[in-house]
Amino acid sequence: MLVSIIFIPIGVASLYASRDVVEIIDRYETDCLPENSRSNKDQKVQYIQGPGNKTCSRTIRVPKHMKKPIYVYYQLDNFYQNHRRYVKSRSDEQLRKNSSASDVDACKPEDNGVNGLPIVPCGLIAWSLFNDTYTFSRNSQKLVVNKKGISWKSDREHKFGKDVYPKNFQNGTLRGGKLLDSSIPLSEQEDLIVWMRTAALPTFRKLYGKIEEDLQPNDVIQVILENNYNTYSFSGKKKLVLSTTSWLGGKNDFLGIAYLTVGGLCFFLAVAFTVVYLVKPRQLGDPSYLSWNRNPGGH
Amino acid sequence: MSGWDRARPSGTRTGRGSNSTMNERIPSSRTVRLGRVQPQAPGFRTIYCNDRDANLPVRFRGNSISTTKYNFFTFLPKGLFEQFRRVANLYFLTISILSTTPISPVSPITNVLPLSLVLLVSLIKEAFEDWKRFQNDMAINNNPVDVLQDQRWESIPWKKLQVGDIVRIKQDGFFPADLLFLAGTNPDGVCYIETANLDGETNLKIRKAVEKTWDYLTPEKASEFKGEVQCEQPNNSLYTFTGNLVVQKQTLPLTPNQILLRGCSLRNTEYIVAVVIFTGHETKVMMNTMNVPSKRSTLERKLDKLILTLFGTLFGMCLIGAIGSGVFIDRKYFYLGLHEDVESQFDPNKPFVVAILTMFTLITLYSTIIPISLYVSIEMIKFIQCAQFINKDLHMYHSETNTPALARTSNLNEELGQVEYIFSDKTGTLTRNLMEFFKCSIGGEVYGTGVTEIERGVAERNGIRLADGKKSANMVQEKGFNFDDGRLMRGAWRNEPNSDLCKEFFRCLAICHTVLPEGDESPEKITYQAASPDEAALVTAAKNFGFFFYRRTPTMIFVRESHVEKMGKIEDVSYEILNVLEFNSTRKRQSVVCRYPDGRLVLYCKGADTVIYERLAIGNDDLKKVTRDHLEQFGSSGLRTLCLAYRDLSPNMYESWNEKFIQAKSSLRDREKKLDEVAELIEQDLVLIGCTAIEDKLQEGVPTCIETLARAGIKIWVLTGDKMETAINIAYACNLINNEMKQFIISSETDAIREIENKGDQVEIARFIKEEVKKELKRCLEEAQSYFHTVSGPKLALVIDGKCLMYALDPTLRVMLLNLSLNCCSVVCCRVSPLQKAQVTSLVKKGARKITLSIGDGANDVSMIQAAHVGIGISGQEGMQAVMASDFAIAQFRFLTDLLLVHGRWSYLRLCKVVTYFFYKNLTFTLTQFWFTFQTGFSGQRFYDDWFQSLYNVIFTALPVIIVGLFDKDVSASLSKKYPEIYRAGIRNVFFEWRVVAVWAFFSFYQSLVFFYFVTTSSSSPHNSSGKMFGLWDVSTMAFSSVVVTVNLRLLLMCNSITRWHYISVGGSVLAWFLFIFIYSGIMTPYDRQENVYFVIYVLMSTFYFYLTIILIPVVALLGDFIYQGVQRWFFPYDYQIVQEIHRHEREGRSRTELLEVANELSPDEARSYAISQLPREISKHTGFAFDSPGYESFFAAQLGVYAPQKAWDVARRASMKSKPKLGLKK
Repeated sequence: MLVSIIFIPIGVASLYASRDVVEIIDRYETDCLPENSRSNKDQKVQYIQGPGNKTCSRTIRVPKHMKKPIYVYYQLDNFYQNHRRYVKSRSDEQLRKNSSASDVDACKPEDNGVNGLPIVPCGLIAWSLFNDTYTFSRNSQKLVVNKKGISWKSDREHKFGKDVYPKNFQNGTLRGGKLLDSSIPLSEQEDLIVWMRTAALPTFRKLYGKIEEDLQPNDVIQVILENNYNTYSFSGKKKLVLSTTSWLGGKNDFLGIAYLTVGGLCFFLAVAFTVVYLVKPRQLGDPSYLSWNRNPGGH
Repeated sequence: MSGWDRARPSGTRTGRGSNSTMNERIPSSRTVRLGRVQPQAPGFRTIYCNDRDANLPVRFRGNSISTTKYNFFTFLPKGLFEQFRRVANLYFLTISILSTTPISPVSPITNVLPLSLVLLVSLIKEAFEDWKRFQNDMAINNNPVDVLQDQRWESIPWKKLQVGDIVRIKQDGFFPADLLFLAGTNPDGVCYIETANLDGETNLKIRKAVEKTWDYLTPEKASEFKGEVQCEQPNNSLYTFTGNLVVQKQTLPLTPNQILLRGCSLRNTEYIVAVVIFTGHETKVMMNTMNVPSKRSTLERKLDKLILTLFGTLFGMCLIGAIGSGVFIDRKYFYLGLHEDVESQFDPNKPFVVAILTMFTLITLYSTIIPISLYVSIEMIKFIQCAQFINKDLHMYHSETNTPALARTSNLNEELGQVEYIFSDKTGTLTRNLMEFFKCSIGGEVYGTGVTEIERGVAERNGIRLADGKKSANMVQEKGFNFDDGRLMRGAWRNEPNSDLCKEFFRCLAICHTVLPEGDESPEKITYQAASPDEAALVTAAKNFGFFFYRRTPTMIFVRESHVEKMGKIEDVSYEILNVLEFNSTRKRQSVVCRYPDGRLVLYCKGADTVIYERLAIGNDDLKKVTRDHLEQFGSSGLRTLCLAYRDLSPNMYESWNEKFIQAKSSLRDREKKLDEVAELIEQDLVLIGCTAIEDKLQEGVPTCIETLARAGIKIWVLTGDKMETAINIAYACNLINNEMKQFIISSETDAIREIENKGDQVEIARFIKEEVKKELKRCLEEAQSYFHTVSGPKLALVIDGKCLMYALDPTLRVMLLNLSLNCCSVVCCRVSPLQKAQVTSLVKKGARKITLSIGDGANDVSMIQAAHVGIGISGQEGMQAVMASDFAIAQFRFLTDLLLVHGRWSYLRLCKVVTYFFYKNLTFTLTQFWFTFQTGFSGQRFYDDWFQSLYNVIFTALPVIIVGLFDKDVSASLSKKYPEIYRAGIRNVFFEWRVVAVWAFFSFYQSLVFFYFVTTSSSSPHNSSGKMFGLWDVSTMAFSSVVVTVNLRLLLMCNSITRWHYISVGGSVLAWFLFIFIYSGIMTPYDRQENVYFVIYVLMSTFYFYLTIILIPVVALLGDFIYQGVQRWFFPYDYQIVQEIHRHEREGRSRTELLEVANELSPDEARSYAISQLPREISKHTGFAFDSPGYESFFAAQLGVYAPQKAWDVARRASMKSKPKLGLKK
């Protein structure tokens, strides 16, 4: 009962918070393929791996007022960032210190480049860095996407070195993902930092940037995106997400519903037990319930 | 009588087979040989007495002993080896090795750390135990002994003693080694030794030195002794010794009669001088020490099965994962870098290899499903239970003998909570083996005013309270004599109408016996050495009646008679003993022919009523009838009776008889038989004097204890060497049998059997008895079953004697016997040999698969004690053999109530909780990991950080469960004894059935789903207003926090009583986790760890999300358990829960103050030990009165408008259970 008293308000509050969040999801991985490449997987893969312009334009209508900051996420699906081979394929030492550049043992198969020199940053995670890009404009007026401060501060400051610059990166036969500007230290490559914080589940969102302007209802947003990243070979979805946040974070009804359910359940149980007590009372400490009293002589 | 029987147990056994071999093996002094006699080492040893230099070249072993398992150097290898003989440890060693290979998903630390912690704890325990043994050895080794050096006695420690040394042992001293007896202070070169430590016998044995050496008593003289002992090599046969003593060119043969064995002690001799012949580990007693077969409790065996099930589950999980991984792996996941040459574990071309390797990966990953710390935790719990609770329980402390209970092994605590059958020895266990002259009937008049415990018990059951008879001031209280009747004492018998008969009665008591007087010839100081305590009691009685037997020579008995001629006159009378017709169990009587100083020839006879009555002279039927009535009366009060009779002999008749007697005595063939026949001739026409009644005193509180145990559903079998009548008698006395019971008596003492036996054809006897036994068994069984089908048939009791048992234990009849006896409430087996005791025990143990307990005090119980699941020795008496073989030692039979109903039940309950909880927490934890595997493409990626996983078992969840294992109790000790019936739950093993395990498994399945899916689902959105996302390690830290919190709270939910220790340990564990994670995520270690959780917790704890989840998840997870427990409690309450409810308003405090009052009466020493014993319990607040959650009681009360008092513990408890539902209505 206490639980229901406490839980129901919490549930309402969190549900309210969650409902307060405006979230726009735009799935684009198929729509951004040319018509003739959509039919089967091979064609898709061929397209995405081939040269040529992959720019794609999407329009998004804002349903409700969105208060700044508006966060831009990309959401991937069926992408096992938590696969064992993937997770361990990184070198924290190398990321942190310039002097440990050759510390690439864990990074196989992306440890040393074709020239035999160590790759910085090494490993599959860095190699497969997401490389779709988005630019937004409202009424042909560009919306600035702020890409600063999208990563964890602790990562930025302690796990990715200020003196570590990308070297020898993505110059193998097969390009996995994004190229990195070798003149910018890793600690400022926030896309990489975000990406390197591997997700727990095969469906995950990652922060792309922030739009620091309010969006009004019925604003139409033009998104120019470069559809570079290959999710076609493993039939993964790609989604672009624009979302505001509340004190509880993003849009997630789960906690609120769970709280409400548990609270309700407890209430129900309390009532049920009361009914049980009234309908089928059992005297506390009734000796006749003792097993040796229930069936006399039973042994 | 029983004492007589016991002295000659082999007398009537004419059976064959195992029984006859028993007879040969067991010497008539009723000892059990310890261990196998080892083959004799070739050759012999030569010892030069009193000459260390001469002995030097032979290098005899020193006298220091060591019973330690390890020494400084072997400790580590040997100890580790012992540890790895445990499957769980070996398993983890394998896992640890596996985890150093690349297929492992976890770093080796995950498995190595808990394993090493577990090993460390185990090794420390081993070291501690070994250290105690070492100290014990040191104490023994450093005992001082006087050794001859330079014509002086020098005191040196035992360990410095060498073969060939001459030592002096003083009275009551222990022999430091096996010695050759040279000389003693007693005049005729004898000394008395007590062998209680060897065989449990308390009567003294005589050793006699070779006459040649009698003089070497003083140091000066002894130093001149130069001899050479040639003797056998050391061996373990306690009763043999062969050797020669060469002294002054003379060779003297040595026999066991000159050997004093280590462990025995010197009695009644001022000091002796002896030569050391075997030392240290070569002494016979040390060579006899054998390893007590180690017992494992049934719970533990069941636990093994559980672990096997877990292995099965593990295998299943791994198989699923492995198949998944084989299916999953595909080159399409380009980001996994599978396009070039890939190591075989991820090679998409070989899915089969992938599956196999992943299998190993997953085994490593899921290794936490096997609770590695379970065994060591259980060991610790049991050890502390023994050391702190059982050994220090004042309820089981016997102040008279200063003996506390002693748990000799810590393996079997919980077994005590499941005992269904108790096999008890009679003498010394149920009874005190203390015979007291209690009543008598002389010439048709009953004397003696005492009331036996049995009579008192009967009276109490009938509602009459017998006032404790005031003991008259002049009553003589002495060992063996508990008689009070002014008409007989202090010569008052002279005024009785039948004073002549009284005189004969007393003379018969004083003359007709085989007792040896010992010590000073004064009534106060003399002690009697008798084959049985009965005899001693009778002679003591005679002494107290004024017929003081003080000296015996081979032909004479000297009696100091008072008040015979006239009051107050004391004279010494010597009776010439002409013939002694000894007791044996066929004759059942004993006679002495004596000649008075005045030439009167009398035959005094005493024996069982049946045999005496057969031989009485015709006439005087009144006396016979009255005496018979008295005999029956005595018998029903549980007394042991003997009839006394005499016969005057004429010289002529005696002479002619004596010739026949001498002839018979000197005959070479069938001497025994002929002697019996001759005895028959003279033991006729006896004149009945009266009868004696001796009380075989029950141990204190035995009948109550047995009744309590019976209510607890425990069946008690008495296995005794006594004869049937005595056994039945005692069974009555102990409430084991009463008149309402249907008794089945299977006896070999039937006419039919006797007839066949008299024909003497052994084969025929065996066949016949077997047939008879079979017939009887069948008849009884049918009858028993007919009773069994009727609803309220009488309770059944079976009495069977050893000879029948021998045949009944035959494989063909065994099943029948078992069926019959299991239907009986009590079974009495009489005249059984030690081997049969063990056989009966194993019959029930193996045949019925019930938990058995044997309790006994003597060497003849050793086999039984070792055969049962739990062996209990009665300690505090002189013999140690039973105790040495036992698992627990208690001082009194009645302490069984405490040991079983309180400690046993608690231990069982606690252990069940501990085991199921371990099972639950590891399964839950591992299952979350398993669910994660599905999300990772079956790659075997770990969900938790290495350190989380490795510390989960050993730190974050270790302590609370140990606290539960130590302090949990459902109902208090006094209630456990008040409601013995709740013990039955243990017999039925309701707390560790597969059903219980299944319920736990179900809930851990449910909870793990909650943990994983709630956490992952709720973390899929940005975690706070900064819009950042959680990564893998953030989610896992969140999940792990929920697991730790929930699992610890679940523990509180299952506790019956919550003490301060619970709060501390549960709070501490949760705190430990947060402390750990705070530090852990705050530091960066320099070496090759991936800093996965760096800073995680700080970020997590800065979000609302974290707090909401950590409150939600435990509640959701525990809701299931809570509902289950509520429903169970309400609709299907366990007995103990009802008892809790009945006594819910009683505060533990009251009983505690009562206890404290008891403590105040104790001596300071006892009080201190009491205080120690109370330390942990004092804090234990018993709270589980009404419901597992206190909310309930008040909740319903509130509903009905009844005011439910708030209790201190209620508030405290509420505080600890904030997150539990249903506390609300209290407001």
